[in-house]
Amino acid sequence: MKIKKLLFVTKFEELGFDALRSLLTLRHSALEHVVFLNVIERDRVAMHRGKGYEKDEEIRLREAANIRFIDWSETLFEQGMEVGVYIVVGSLVPEVIKATQKEDADLIVIGRSHKGVLEQLYSGSDVTELLHRAWTPVLVYKQLSETTISVEEPFERPLLAIDWSPGSLRAVEYLKVLKDTVKEVHLVHVADEKDLKGPSAMAIQKTRKEARDKLEEICESFAAAGIKAREHVYIGDPDEEIEKAAKDCQASMIVLGSSAKATWVEKFMGSTPRKIAEESIYPTLLIPPERGEK
Amino acid sequence: MSKKVLVVDDDPDVRLFSVTVLEENGYIPLEAEDGESGLKMIKAEKPDLIILDVLMPRQSGVRLYRELKTSKTLKDVKVIILSGIAKKTFLRSQKALTEFGGAEIPEPEIYLEKPVEPDELADVIKKVLG
Repeated sequence: MKIKKLLFVTKFEELGFDALRSLLTLRHSALEHVVFLNVIERDRVAMHRGKGYEKDEEIRLREAANIRFIDWSETLFEQGMEVGVYIVVGSLVPEVIKATQKEDADLIVIGRSHKGVLEQLYSGSDVTELLHRAWTPVLVYKQLSETTISVEEPFERPLLAIDWSPGSLRAVEYLKVLKDTVKEVHLVHVADEKDLKGPSAMAIQKTRKEARDKLEEICESFAAAGIKAREHVYIGDPDEEIEKAAKDCQASMIVLGSSAKATWVEKFMGSTPRKIAEESIYPTLLIPPERGEK
Repeated sequence: MSKKVLVVDDDPDVRLFSVTVLEENGYIPLEAEDGESGLKMIKAEKPDLIILDVLMPRQSGVRLYRELKTSKTLKDVKVIILSGIAKKTFLRSQKALTEFGGAEIPEPEIYLEKPVEPDELADVIKKVLG
């Protein structure tokens, strides 16, 4: 589960080279190959009333992207890294999936979705759709201009939210191999109020203790892998508490397991991974379960 | 007998351009769209010359060139680099890979930065193949 190759998906305005630079600390672990992907959305060039397919516009957009990627690639090549590029016309998510499979990428890096509320209601956000379809971890990056925190090295102090799902347990293994990049991991379990073992103080403390004991075991496994780890238990709404925990721990990123829920369920009911990916001020790394797990 | 020239480039327009120049000058053109398929074709077809792009999916020209020049059987295949990536970047990347423990490799025969005119490309092909 090493991150040797990452797919960097960009429309340029939402994710620039500074974001990629901040991820190059992954080179200390295993990163050696960056693949750039720019998807020119079909509606920018296709079949506008009275115009037909705008080939000239496609060429202009392709070349603009190509020139930017050449510039970025030169920096990476000179550091001895391997670089690849895709510039394609199509729909974002299917093209991301296609490039991920072709390249066998270990991590997808993408900016936050910029679709409007109505558009998201009808078609879902790009991030939701990607989480539903990808079996590869997805890092939803937040640009410095979008967030009030300054993240120079997102993998330095991740906050890992554990809900014992296959995805969150896989995230443990995913982070363990990054010992040359990660300085300290904060593990948090948020016990939802409805899951408490009763309304009394004793019951709440019991829930906390049980969760803490389980988290301690994971901390020990991190320590054995050479990574310092600390455990925390919060009580309340997971969406809000994870964000609070990230602030309390001065985390550089939030890591969560994602599930293989149907897109429509996520669209209408929401889910913690999706909400945090879309709304949190922190870069959010979402780890899916292994294929076949829920 | 006509000489075989392999064009390795992910851009179909560039491949079409190079193939047309090759055909008009009496060479047998072969095509590959990335470094990985390029290497397979080099092993299968043993071309006399490779016109190689640098920035490509799956495997870049930087790695393919290094693989060729460190191979006992393929190191003598002639290579023209045709790329939007600057020559100095290509050389620095090879230097970095050498510093990371790779072997020292020679510079390519010719390095052309895109775009090139058909006559310019035809001339350098003739020059390299003699």
